[in-house]
Amino acid sequence: MDNRSSFLGGPARRDWIVLAVVMALGLLVPSVLNRGLIFIAGLVWINAVFGLSFNLLFGLSGVLSFGQAMFFAAGAYAAAVLTQSLGWPFLPAWIMAAVAGGLLAALVGAVALRRSEGVYFAILTLAFAELMHLLITNTGMLGRNDGLSGLARPVLSLGAARLDLGQGDNFYYFIVVACGAMIALIRFVIGTAFGRALQAVKQDPERAEFLGIPVRLHRLVIFTLAGMMTAAAGALVAPWAQIVTPELAHWSNSTNPILYTLLGGSAYFWGPALGAVLLSAVFYVTRTLVGVSDLVTGLLLLAVVLALPGGVLGLLARWTGGTRGKGKA
Amino acid sequence: MSQPNRRHVLQYGAAAASSLALPGVSWAQGGPLKIGLITPLSGPQEFIGTYVKNGAEVAVDQINKAGGILGRQVALEIRDDKANPAAALAAARELLGAGVNLHIGGISSAVVLALVPVMQQENGVHITCGAGTEKMNHEAYSANMFRAGDSPDARGRAQAKLMAEKYPNITRWTGLIPDHEYGRTTWGIFVDGLLEFYPQIAKKKPEILDPILMPYGVSDYRNAITAALRQQADGCYNSTYGGDAITMFQQARGFGLMQRYKVVCDSANEFLVARGLKQQLPPQWTGMHYYPAGNKNPMSERFVADYLAKTKDNEPLGWAGESHAAVYALKSAIEKGRSAETKAVIANLKGLTWDTVTGPRHMRAEDNQAVKDVELVYIEPAQTEKGYAVTQYVKVDGKASILPPLPGQKLKLRTA
Amino acid sequence: MQAADIATLLVNSLTWAMATFLVAAGLTLVFGTLHILNFSHGGFFMIGAYAAFSLAQWVGTSNSIALYLFGSLAAGVLVAGLGLVVDRLVLRRLAGVEDAYILIATYALLLVCEGSTKLVWGLKYHSVMPPAMLDGAWVMGSAVVPRLSLFIIACGLTVFIALEVFLNRTKSGRLVKAIAADPWMAGLLGINVRRVYTATVALGFALAGLAGGLLVSNQALSPSLASAFVIYAFGVIIVGGMGSISGAFFGSILLGLIDAIGQWVLPGLPGLPFFIAMTLILLLRPQGLMGRKH
Repeated sequence: MDNRSSFLGGPARRDWIVLAVVMALGLLVPSVLNRGLIFIAGLVWINAVFGLSFNLLFGLSGVLSFGQAMFFAAGAYAAAVLTQSLGWPFLPAWIMAAVAGGLLAALVGAVALRRSEGVYFAILTLAFAELMHLLITNTGMLGRNDGLSGLARPVLSLGAARLDLGQGDNFYYFIVVACGAMIALIRFVIGTAFGRALQAVKQDPERAEFLGIPVRLHRLVIFTLAGMMTAAAGALVAPWAQIVTPELAHWSNSTNPILYTLLGGSAYFWGPALGAVLLSAVFYVTRTLVGVSDLVTGLLLLAVVLALPGGVLGLLARWTGGTRGKGKA
Repeated sequence: MSQPNRRHVLQYGAAAASSLALPGVSWAQGGPLKIGLITPLSGPQEFIGTYVKNGAEVAVDQINKAGGILGRQVALEIRDDKANPAAALAAARELLGAGVNLHIGGISSAVVLALVPVMQQENGVHITCGAGTEKMNHEAYSANMFRAGDSPDARGRAQAKLMAEKYPNITRWTGLIPDHEYGRTTWGIFVDGLLEFYPQIAKKKPEILDPILMPYGVSDYRNAITAALRQQADGCYNSTYGGDAITMFQQARGFGLMQRYKVVCDSANEFLVARGLKQQLPPQWTGMHYYPAGNKNPMSERFVADYLAKTKDNEPLGWAGESHAAVYALKSAIEKGRSAETKAVIANLKGLTWDTVTGPRHMRAEDNQAVKDVELVYIEPAQTEKGYAVTQYVKVDGKASILPPLPGQKLKLRTA
Repeated sequence: MQAADIATLLVNSLTWAMATFLVAAGLTLVFGTLHILNFSHGGFFMIGAYAAFSLAQWVGTSNSIALYLFGSLAAGVLVAGLGLVVDRLVLRRLAGVEDAYILIATYALLLVCEGSTKLVWGLKYHSVMPPAMLDGAWVMGSAVVPRLSLFIIACGLTVFIALEVFLNRTKSGRLVKAIAADPWMAGLLGINVRRVYTATVALGFALAGLAGGLLVSNQALSPSLASAFVIYAFGVIIVGGMGSISGAFFGSILLGLIDAIGQWVLPGLPGLPFFIAMTLILLLRPQGLMGRKH
């Protein structure tokens, strides 16, 4: 990759405060917005985690994957099958779905990272994802192209307490808490020595290897972690939308986290989250403008890429007078 | 299936009811009666969604001109579901939260299946306008979802019945079916019909070959076409649809495949494929939700005239007829119970007999499926600007073709 | 399996392969030279097809192969013109930018293509009948060989040979290859690299438009035509080696054969053999059959 920009993780304290504020705002959503927007807000949280996991690979480690949708779908379908067909309670099913995503990523990563990198690796992930999409679409037990529907909102039993997440906006609150925890975990990983090693790998893999950092192993580990987080996010879609369909594994869903990341700014931790919010806002505002959506979305994206290569956060950083580290030219 | 939490349902039921409460008191003060229209208005099904929208708008205009529903004017709240469950769910929740509890428009099967739990939890009603899934009246049945148009099993079996009547000597049948749920189900239904009606009407046993699975979402069908050639069947049932069907017919033309069949019966393409292929069209029977020229009743004639005035299109395809019928079903149900509240509308839709562009239809109370006559036409290529012509039109009795209601259970079909 | 069946399988595979190669040729050429993976290539293929359709409508029903070919060339020229516009407005700004940005920019361009197609030509499905001489089939025993299939195969072969001759035996072609291999050195030697890039883009887009015109009778015309070919074209050029025309050519034949055999052996799982083959080939040889390891 010829990206030499450093990943601006920002001081940890600032990011924890931002997270707390964002979560507080998120929890306020049901009291101010209509039910359609609450539903969309839940999806935005999930997509934000999707984008942030993608950026663990792209922005932090310099690994470009065109196939993250396969982990998202794996998590969603695993959660659906475990809760609906096998009757598992939700929390264990959610954890299992994340584990499944991680295992799949470890498998794909072990095989693909060994043989390729850069654009070739990206295309290989695309091929794997499309394979997954085809497998899902052809499996009767997974509902083929109709998917699995009628998924229930769960009821959590924690010891003596019973929490019905199907009631009112309870599951939205759960999403906020769950996604907040996942975002915190991602931020934590970035701040560790492992995270810093990944930045070194991205900057100059040869030198990193020379310095004693096992490049391929690091990439495999982060790929596995990203797959796990992506699957965990995808698993929340199952009870939220109450349906999972093969579109979740389609390549256009793989482009979504890339869109969020580039729109928000890949060099910044919050970039993908901001991108997810902005893109959803654009789609919501244009929802009644029937028919021109393709053209409008395309032109908008084009404008962003050509005029704002650092994303929105890159633009803001330039306005607030210079950046720490190198942004995009 | 999720069990609706009673307290939850009542809480939202109360919220919805409060905006459309007691007739006579706050009824007239509530502003226009809003009906939600959630249908694909972008993406691959945009073409069909446009017909749904126009048909519904014509219905609403007609009703408003005649004084509205119970004296109140009607307005449509239109949302694009992009044939994508997430967008449909957001739109449905938004409308339900705003007090719009009556929705129509489902075309995509995935969308319809996604809406089932939401309409139940948030206390709304949805009438589909052409979605193909049979599950909504079977294993995914919910009292809040209605199909006011053709049932997939009535359509397929009526087609098989017609084949037995008109072509008693053609007993060797195969299928060209898209490799997904819809394709497999439509074929299964047609086979069920063949197995019942050929012995009954033609006094012969049909020979049912393994259907040819057409790869889905590709643009080359030549290998599948070659496999079909090898079968040497006499009758062919096609349920590939839209652009895929056109591509398949174009490529099959080179092989002369369709010419080898003595009869071709198409599941549901209406005039879509005929308009796309024009003179290249292989002659075939096809099912229509609504064939304007064949329905000489006052409501149909008025609909065609109003549709032409509004859209400059003189041949509203079947989906426009379905949305028109859905709006009129709501009108009848609301007037019957003198209430637009969800619980009342559901109770009054069940068992309702109402007038539509295809004549009177009856909504079965057991499974929310309408019983209507099935419209079939024979289209042939023609040397005209249009490119095709309808040379035969048949209305097959719906009551004899439709299978008995089985709400909550999978569709039961005979197999060879 | 009888001989007739094998013959039919071969002809069908080659037809698919050549159709895919026609679409992929321009894509791999542009990547090889500019290192830009143009996601919107399928969109311009679609515009070429629609342009040929409009021309066919304007001229009226004709049974001339010459007219069909002329329509395809006209479509190629039109799309080449569009390519020059795109180069000026978009591609030049993407020089030196990382691959993810280029991907998104060209994906956005694809959306623009699809939206514009809907606006100009509407949503209805259209089809173009092939000229009478390309209609029908040759029947040899129990083997049925459609004339249109042979035409497509002939087109693919012709374009391949023409491109190979151009790139390897003409001065301008060798210039393109030199720049693809080492643009810095080429610049040092006084070659106007920018101009060659622009010409290559024009050629790549022309190939997309030409493919659209030549294949217009092969499938239905709808605004979703672009997406139908994108993944397969990508797969073929990756397997063949990105940047290699002969790689795309042989890669498409290989994948076409594997897919056809797969459909014969496992008719219940269409599409799977293609992706499995693609994945396996990439694992064994990530740079593709004829690609260079970067």
